Amino acid sequence: MIKKAIHIVLPFALFFLFVFAVSKTNNPAASFQLLTTEENFVAGKPITLAFSTPSKIATADLFIIHSYGKTLLKSKNNNGQLLFKIPAIYSQKTGFTSWYLLQNKKTIVTGSFKITPNNNTPTLLENYLGPTTLLTGLNHFTMMVAIPTDSYDNPKEDNTTVLIKDQFLNDIRITAEKTKSFIAWKNIYSRTTVGKMLVSTECENTDSKEFETDIRPSIGKDFSISFSRNHKFADGNQITKLETSIIRDQFGNLVGDGTLVTFQITTKNNILLKTFAATINGIAIAQLLHPDHEDTYRVKGYVTGIAESKPIEISYNALINTFPYQFSEKNREITVGPLKSFMKQIIPDGIKVELKIFHHNNLIETKIAESSKGITTFYLLPPFYKEKEYQFEITTLGVTQKTEIKKYENN
Amino acid sequence: MKIINNRNIYKTALILSFILISIFALLGLAKTLDYLNTGAERTSMLHLETESEDIYLPKVNWTKLDNPAREMEKNTLGKIERDYLFSWYVKNNALENNTSKGIDYYYTQNTRENLYRTINYNKSHEITIENTTIKHFPELEFYSEDGQLVVFTDKNVVEFQKLYQNKQLITSIQDTATYKVMMLLEDGFWRVRHLLKMKSEAFAPDTIKANPIYTVKNNQILQNKIPYTIKGINYYPKNSAWDTFGERFNKDTIAVDFDIMKKANLNTVRVFIQYGDFGKAKIIPEKLEKLKVLLDLAEAKKLAVIVTLFDFYSDYTIDSWTLTHRHAEQIVSTFKDHKAILAWDLKNEPNLDFENRDKDNVLSWLDHITTVVKENDPNHLITIGWSNSVEATNLADKMDFISYHFYNDMQHLEYETNKLLKTTKKPVVIEEFGVPSYGGMWNLWEGSIKKQAAYHQKMQTYFKKNNYSFMSWTLYDFPHVPDQVAGKWPWQKMRQKKFGFIDDKGNNKPAFKYISN
Repeated sequence: MIKKAIHIVLPFALFFLFVFAVSKTNNPAASFQLLTTEENFVAGKPITLAFSTPSKIATADLFIIHSYGKTLLKSKNNNGQLLFKIPAIYSQKTGFTSWYLLQNKKTIVTGSFKITPNNNTPTLLENYLGPTTLLTGLNHFTMMVAIPTDSYDNPKEDNTTVLIKDQFLNDIRITAEKTKSFIAWKNIYSRTTVGKMLVSTECENTDSKEFETDIRPSIGKDFSISFSRNHKFADGNQITKLETSIIRDQFGNLVGDGTLVTFQITTKNNILLKTFAATINGIAIAQLLHPDHEDTYRVKGYVTGIAESKPIEISYNALINTFPYQFSEKNREITVGPLKSFMKQIIPDGIKVELKIFHHNNLIETKIAESSKGITTFYLLPPFYKEKEYQFEITTLGVTQKTEIKKYENN
Repeated sequence: MKIINNRNIYKTALILSFILISIFALLGLAKTLDYLNTGAERTSMLHLETESEDIYLPKVNWTKLDNPAREMEKNTLGKIERDYLFSWYVKNNALENNTSKGIDYYYTQNTRENLYRTINYNKSHEITIENTTIKHFPELEFYSEDGQLVVFTDKNVVEFQKLYQNKQLITSIQDTATYKVMMLLEDGFWRVRHLLKMKSEAFAPDTIKANPIYTVKNNQILQNKIPYTIKGINYYPKNSAWDTFGERFNKDTIAVDFDIMKKANLNTVRVFIQYGDFGKAKIIPEKLEKLKVLLDLAEAKKLAVIVTLFDFYSDYTIDSWTLTHRHAEQIVSTFKDHKAILAWDLKNEPNLDFENRDKDNVLSWLDHITTVVKENDPNHLITIGWSNSVEATNLADKMDFISYHFYNDMQHLEYETNKLLKTTKKPVVIEEFGVPSYGGMWNLWEGSIKKQAAYHQKMQTYFKKNNYSFMSWTLYDFPHVPDQVAGKWPWQKMRQKKFGFIDDKGNNKPAFKYISN
């Protein structure tokens, strides 16, 4: 009988125990109210949000969304009060923090607070200056951007004053700029002379280091060119020097060393030649080989796309009017020379001599050789030149001479 | 002679070990040289290589570009936007997996420390947070003269997050905030230097004026303000079942089919767009062309179209949300003024994914897709094709009309439909119904074309009596059914092939008589 009673009572007892346990472990739904009235906090100061609830056991979690992260905070019900301590990693950084009080997978209260930069900590200054080189002139500028922060690396609020200073020679200028969107900035304009400019900033007793920007000459103005040479003869050997005047920008500064000047040369036959030189101290000196025949060069200098000179003319006189030549070895060997220069000196080695071979007025071949000690020799090998007669045209140093028709024996 | 003796073994071992040592030495040298060469290419040093895969595509709309300093170049803006979105992506990833992977690419040295601290805190408390941002409206504040520093305000960033502790979902939360951002150009990356969360601002009022043809009043869909009862059919061309816009797309075939529908006194057709087939986040233009051809034909034949989006999509993870948003956005904004469209059906039978993909997740996804579609196309109605009437109440208040699929015993039709009409107070469409005419060994010779006809006859009397909107499944029997639809086994497939009013040879089945009322 007792056994039977146990069989009946035990399931009931277990059931009630279970129900009790469930109601104990379940978080009962309750209303919560924010006690913390403050909505603005200063970075670095501890932040605690307090909630009150009529329930003595209900708990809730706090989800926070911050500039740099999100997390979930737990709390215990302490006699109807819940305290959430915001971790230092969040209370040190500024921004608008949203919070959501969650209970049993539901949001029951939401709200937000704002953390502002801590103005009692030493100010830090981050600066960016760019571009770091400038051209002279009134339109060019470099930009100084200053980002003042508190010691927790939080950008200061808008309207924080930053002094931006620049020095160039005796000229020191200081302006006060207000921050907006994290930054205070200023365009620092270039000057008309070349040199170094120093820029620095100051905010709330914190000074930046000095930043340097170079003011470099701007683009050159038109210039003139001149030439110098050893003699005026077209010997194909001497060199004519082409030289620019000092090239300056519009404010009289020498253009930067290494500015490339192109000298463009037009010959009498409208052939274009070029030579180049880079400037040193504003002057570019280029070299030009003398022609090996009479010619007049028209030379013009360019800094491509920027500046140019007026053209000049250079004339080269012919070295010789005529030259001797002989036939020997049954007319198979042709010796040109000796070629003599303007003082009857033997011309320098390496002068080009051209021999055109005609047969019945048809050009068969052109041979080219260079002179050595004033003499150039051509040899017509019998197996290659089998005709009975040939005529020749010899050209050197811009002079052309036609020979008579020469007879050849067949071997 | 004894071949195997000790000496031969030693010889072989010696030669083999020599070869092995040589191989390892060569491999080692190659590895060393390889290592010494890494990072030496200019492209890798300057990070010039472009990421080609779309992984994170929230809506970004630069509302203001003029600023007091340097004029913004289009190319730079693109790079800033890309790196800024990556900064969100790595941050989201960090919060989800508590990993610092990628943070050093998109945050400067000082700034990344803040994120590392959050990661460590959440890791030690076993908190993980899945995040995505839905929309960004950045306004340029400042772009420095040397092109190395930029400040902008990203207004009203909509953030959606799911919060977990000890791998248990706690809740999901949507938050809107404005962020002020400073980025610096470092090593070819635009990196976040400062980030400041600010109070969100009032959203700009919607300026797009809706000009709808189809509207809804109480339990009734209206066409140009005249009550409109849908007498419709689900449609795939006979030879391209579940692949309307595939290789076999043919204008003439569709035109003929639309004529059949029109002659049979139908007024609406439901078609399906597959997520992958249309190109996921980057819609393939040819597919839009094909859809336009179909819609133009429908307009010419005076048929209304319900276009079902996201067929064969079943991911729903927060990671891919923004990609699906871009998918929907491109399609619906292209056709926002098309007169043939009656409604966008956001997803076919999403409740079938409740079990495997988490109900909350699926519903939040649908909720956000609703917003995306409504924002980009205010002219057309929206609905979701639920697979039964019980689930059809989900998100009912966001829908223009309620759609559900009825494959139960016919007797329940009126009860289920009337209940929905009453609870939702919105028009209700029986968006799919039907029986297969298949009778064979796989269903014990249960169905027949006569039984199918009888079913449709009876259904039509219900529809007529109650003036229900209906869409039958489906116009054709299909010679081929893809495996993804019903399954790969014959007892699954055979049924699915025989739902049509017209058999696969093109002959009308007896049920064709009762295709409409």
